Amino acid sequence: MRSRSITSLVPLLAPVHILILSVIVLPSIYVVWLSLNASSFGQEPTFVGLRNYIDTISDPAFRSALWNTVVLVVVAVHVELVIGLGMALLFASGLPFRRVLLVAVLAPYAVSEVIAVVMWRFLFDPDVGPVTQALLSLGLPTLDWSFEPSHAMILIALLTIWLHLPFTFIILYAARLAIPADLYEAARIDGATPWQAFRRVTLPLLGPAVIVALLFRYIFAFRIFSEVWLLTQGGPARSTEVVAVYLYQEAFSYNAFGSAAATAWIMVLASLLLASGYVFILRRQVAANAR
Amino acid sequence: MSNKRFATINRRAFLGSAAGAAALFATRPSWAASKTLNVLSHKVHQTVLGADDGDLMKDWKATNDAGISWTTFDSNPLQDRLFREASLSETDYGVGYIIDNRPTSDIAALFEPLDDYLKKDGIEDFGDIAPGLVQGMTVDGKLIGIPVRHATQGLFYNEELLEEAGISAPPTTLEELVEQAKKATFKSNAGTPVVGMVLASDLAVFPVMFARAFGGDFITQNFELVPDPAAMEEGLNALRGMFEAGALPRSYATTRNDDQVTWMQQGRAAFTVLPFARNGQLNNPEQSKFPGKIKAIEFPISAALKGKTPMASVVEAWGMVIPRNAKDKELAWKFIKEVSSKRVTLGMAINGNGPVRVSTYAEKDFVAKNPVAEVEAGVLAHARGAFPPFPEAARAQSTLLEEVQLAVLGRKPVKEAVASIIERVKPMMPA
Repeated sequence: MRSRSITSLVPLLAPVHILILSVIVLPSIYVVWLSLNASSFGQEPTFVGLRNYIDTISDPAFRSALWNTVVLVVVAVHVELVIGLGMALLFASGLPFRRVLLVAVLAPYAVSEVIAVVMWRFLFDPDVGPVTQALLSLGLPTLDWSFEPSHAMILIALLTIWLHLPFTFIILYAARLAIPADLYEAARIDGATPWQAFRRVTLPLLGPAVIVALLFRYIFAFRIFSEVWLLTQGGPARSTEVVAVYLYQEAFSYNAFGSAAATAWIMVLASLLLASGYVFILRRQVAANAR
Repeated sequence: MSNKRFATINRRAFLGSAAGAAALFATRPSWAASKTLNVLSHKVHQTVLGADDGDLMKDWKATNDAGISWTTFDSNPLQDRLFREASLSETDYGVGYIIDNRPTSDIAALFEPLDDYLKKDGIEDFGDIAPGLVQGMTVDGKLIGIPVRHATQGLFYNEELLEEAGISAPPTTLEELVEQAKKATFKSNAGTPVVGMVLASDLAVFPVMFARAFGGDFITQNFELVPDPAAMEEGLNALRGMFEAGALPRSYATTRNDDQVTWMQQGRAAFTVLPFARNGQLNNPEQSKFPGKIKAIEFPISAALKGKTPMASVVEAWGMVIPRNAKDKELAWKFIKEVSSKRVTLGMAINGNGPVRVSTYAEKDFVAKNPVAEVEAGVLAHARGAFPPFPEAARAQSTLLEEVQLAVLGRKPVKEAVASIIERVKPMMPA
């Protein structure tokens, strides 16, 4: 096997390279080229240099969409992490009806995003929604999401947390189950309190899983689209618009393919920048493990 | 042993069966139509042509030995797909349906000019097709589409709810409409909270109708931007006043076109503005709590203009186009000719299509089935598109809607919002 020459191995690897090249690399290069051109239906693309990037960044609507996205991502991802971690620890500590509860916790991940949004839209309808009615009957404040932008953002955040919590939970739960019970036993014998056991045993050993969950969720959450589009379409008056909605409008409502492509690349860079801290920590962990 | 032999699928049996099935499939064209015309449209365009025994294209299919394969989408994705197909070097689609405010000069160039087709193999009584709609499909002097459907906006009201609110007759002026909408914001006898009027906030149709009622407009056919800012302000003030009084739902900013239908059917709103073609759906006993009680009239003009100038309601039209890169243009034209014939136009109108032929409105069958036919014909005579097509039209519409939402919700003074519309849309206007 070791004596095989590289030329005999290349054909075996070629399908993977061809796949990556055709599905990721070439389309990415095409989008870069498109972002440097002014292009629409029935028009030959015209080279405009960095004009599309400058126009996009200087558009107040884009900056507002970027800010909304960052706020939503940061809030939703970290709230998800805290709840997911709490639930993972609760499940690992032993719960009655664990299997049934596990199915209940994972269920939102099996629901199509579109259906989930339509369902939530109905539940929180400001006039006839069952949740709104229940809150009113209890004398509690309701979410005036169709009028108040801040309420709309809260509802979008709640919806995205509900939808994606199972992802964070399952990663953390699996990682928690992998921690050997002997370590907790040793900690108990050494006189550690539950809080100390959590800080000195659970948290350090869950670290890599937490980073992976955060990193994936940062990248996925930055693409948030259907929750916003189907709930508010970015309104009232574009106040809840996120970057993916901005991109969609540029590409498919205004048919401005150049600026849409520029928006896509800015989106990639912004999400990498936002997640860069966690990427750095992950790299450090990988390097430490390799030693 | 023998049972096992029958129950087991071995490689030889599998390959043999697969080859047999493939051979059988290959013979399929021998009993199917020899040609297929691929059509790219909205589902409604397919539905109004009927199916099975009621298929209005049955004879055409037999005569031309052709089948019709429909690919349907919602309006915006449909236009996107149509323009993408027409931008390729070749497309399988022979006919596409286009909205009249989309074909700019660049987009029109993607489709066959149809003037020569008309000269060589004319459409039956082409002059009968509403000239305004034909004009909407003419770009740079070339006819690129044949009108097939129009959606003319009318004012719908729930007669029963108006009576409950103590209103005996529908409004005759815009001011009356606003007053009645405020009065009809109440709790009905059935215990349902009713709002005076429900309007979608994501369509330019509504603010444009309110502006036109005062003699204003958003963008005229001659590309004049907000020709009368005071009239636009009056229109937006009327909407703002209704919102403030609760006569527009608090969820105005997230209300969509489909919500308007649902709210009317459920008796949650007393008035709305929708295409006349929605009359059947609003009064459908299987869907509506008020079958036969939802009536339609022309959207009223302001008191100051009443009797002086007709109300120019908004009309949106669809046309059939042939992509320049289509493979079988001859078959596509035959399809367009047939769909545009008097017989098929009438059949589609009976099935709920807004007829593009003036003569259809005089057909007894149609009038008997459509109680709003006469009103619609009157409104259509003065109706025009919400705005003309130009490259930045969609962006201009979004800007208008953003400012209108801010004004209606009270986040920006109306005067300031109108000034912003002018300032922001101006750079988008064609030179």
